[in-house]
Amino acid sequence: MTTVKIRFEHVRKEFVVRGEGGGPGRHFTALEDITLDVRSGEFLALVGSSGCGKSTLLDLLGGLTLPTSGRILLDGRPIAGPGRDRGIVFQQYALFPWRTAAQNVEFGLDIAGLKAKQRLDIARHFLDLVGLSGFTDRYPHELSGGMKQRVAIARSLAYDPEVLLMDEPFAALDAQTRETLQGELLRIWRATGKTIVFITHGIDEAIVLGQRVAVMTSRPGRIKQIIDIPDVLRSEADDVRSLPEFGRVRHEVWGPLREEVLKAQQGQLAAGAGARADRKVEEVTHV
Amino acid sequence: MSSLEMLPLLEVAHGRREPRTSVESPASPVVDRIHAAARGLAAFGRRSLLLIALFAAWEAAPRLGLIDAVFLPPFSEVIAAGWQLAQTGELYDDVSASLLRALSGFLISVALIVPLGVAVGWYARLGDLVNQFIEICRNTAPLALLPVFILLLGIGELSKITMVIYSCAWPLLLNTVAAVKQVDPLLIKSARTMGATPEQLFRKVIVPAALPTIFVGIRLASASAMLVLVASEMVGAKAGLGYLIINSQYSFLIPQMYFGILGITVIGLAFNAILEALERRFMRWKSPVTA
Repeated sequence: MTTVKIRFEHVRKEFVVRGEGGGPGRHFTALEDITLDVRSGEFLALVGSSGCGKSTLLDLLGGLTLPTSGRILLDGRPIAGPGRDRGIVFQQYALFPWRTAAQNVEFGLDIAGLKAKQRLDIARHFLDLVGLSGFTDRYPHELSGGMKQRVAIARSLAYDPEVLLMDEPFAALDAQTRETLQGELLRIWRATGKTIVFITHGIDEAIVLGQRVAVMTSRPGRIKQIIDIPDVLRSEADDVRSLPEFGRVRHEVWGPLREEVLKAQQGQLAAGAGARADRKVEEVTHV
Repeated sequence: MSSLEMLPLLEVAHGRREPRTSVESPASPVVDRIHAAARGLAAFGRRSLLLIALFAAWEAAPRLGLIDAVFLPPFSEVIAAGWQLAQTGELYDDVSASLLRALSGFLISVALIVPLGVAVGWYARLGDLVNQFIEICRNTAPLALLPVFILLLGIGELSKITMVIYSCAWPLLLNTVAAVKQVDPLLIKSARTMGATPEQLFRKVIVPAALPTIFVGIRLASASAMLVLVASEMVGAKAGLGYLIINSQYSFLIPQMYFGILGITVIGLAFNAILEALERRFMRWKSPVTA
């Protein structure tokens, strides 16, 4: 269980941003010198203030963009493009509205060329796993936000990727649904043994879910600190949020993160004239 | 069961629509059916009230001398004239001529323009190239070009069908281009992460996502097709409902003229009903929108 699944080696990502008033473009560094190992079967949570390049990091992992310099290795091989060895769960679900829950789950299998019967069997199995057995024929508009995200998770699991990348998947849900789904995700993770990289801006969420929590700096995004979550907080039975240990770890994560949040805010205030450019930057990083 | 395990169930319960099984006391199926039929009839009556009143007024006004019966014959006389036209076979000739022109023009336009629109929407460069051209053509009213088509293509079928194709093209093209451009980038991103090839992306994401907006264009095009067809049949034709209307007016066969107008309405309604049925069939996944 100690083999490295994903390795970031001095990863740097730059964007060219349109200059003021159509002037010459300037370079903007979203990620700087990211070096990080994710172990096989690990649940790693990444926290950072908004605009720290979390989503850029995920796009790189997904193979949707390539790093400006450095490498990202998956099982020792550099990531060259998207692939079904990685599944992505997006904050806005990204379900296909013209497909039923089952057909959505089948999408990746359909792309892979599986037969209809086989696809349906697999889709049923994974809808079962996320607790939506009775909803195979429902269209997304007939499902609640929490149920949509369950379908999205089932869809990402269905083609059996080794790594699950999750981009603030529960951020749009109400607090109760979010907590439920956090519990479900941990159960699914334990049942399937996937490697999960979970991006969030919620400290509590990161601590509840992650075996390790990586705190990112803002602009450019770097890994500031990695905090191991003690085993006490990995209990399946207890409500870990109520343990005194939870408060201690929360404090430990909040410290480094708070500095970054403050720094980001000061940067915005001091920028003044640069504020408009920064907004464009924000757009770029969140696309 | 812990409260955490209860939550998904709660969520399931809330998210669920009304259970489909009826909770009313189980009456006999025959009585149920009669009730349903009565309710349906009542609903139809309510919705058609205005229409029935209109027909009644049409019948009564000329008979009571409120309006000159020569210029507005009673509804029953219009229908009688139509019956006569049907018996001589004239009606069949006119309707089939109009239908053939409208349908062939409309279908050719859909077959040509929708793929073109998809291409223009998908390839930004192609869009830049043709946008100005589209804007100019779109803002040239098709009927203004009718003399040009007649000069170049004669007064036969060719000029009329071309006219229909032309007038259908613009609503189709604009809506198709917009439809493809408006596809949610997140869906494309999501499909790409699942390893979709460009061809699969196109077939399984772009086309189904664009279909509802393309259908808006198709509905607009069908209305445009009828409009332009009637006008061009009025200018130079030997058959067709437009010809029937204008020829009846010239020959002072006023009931026949009104029947021609009714014929156009019925064809328009039929077109629309077919398109609506198609839309319902292909777009079952859309949340029901009350029109």
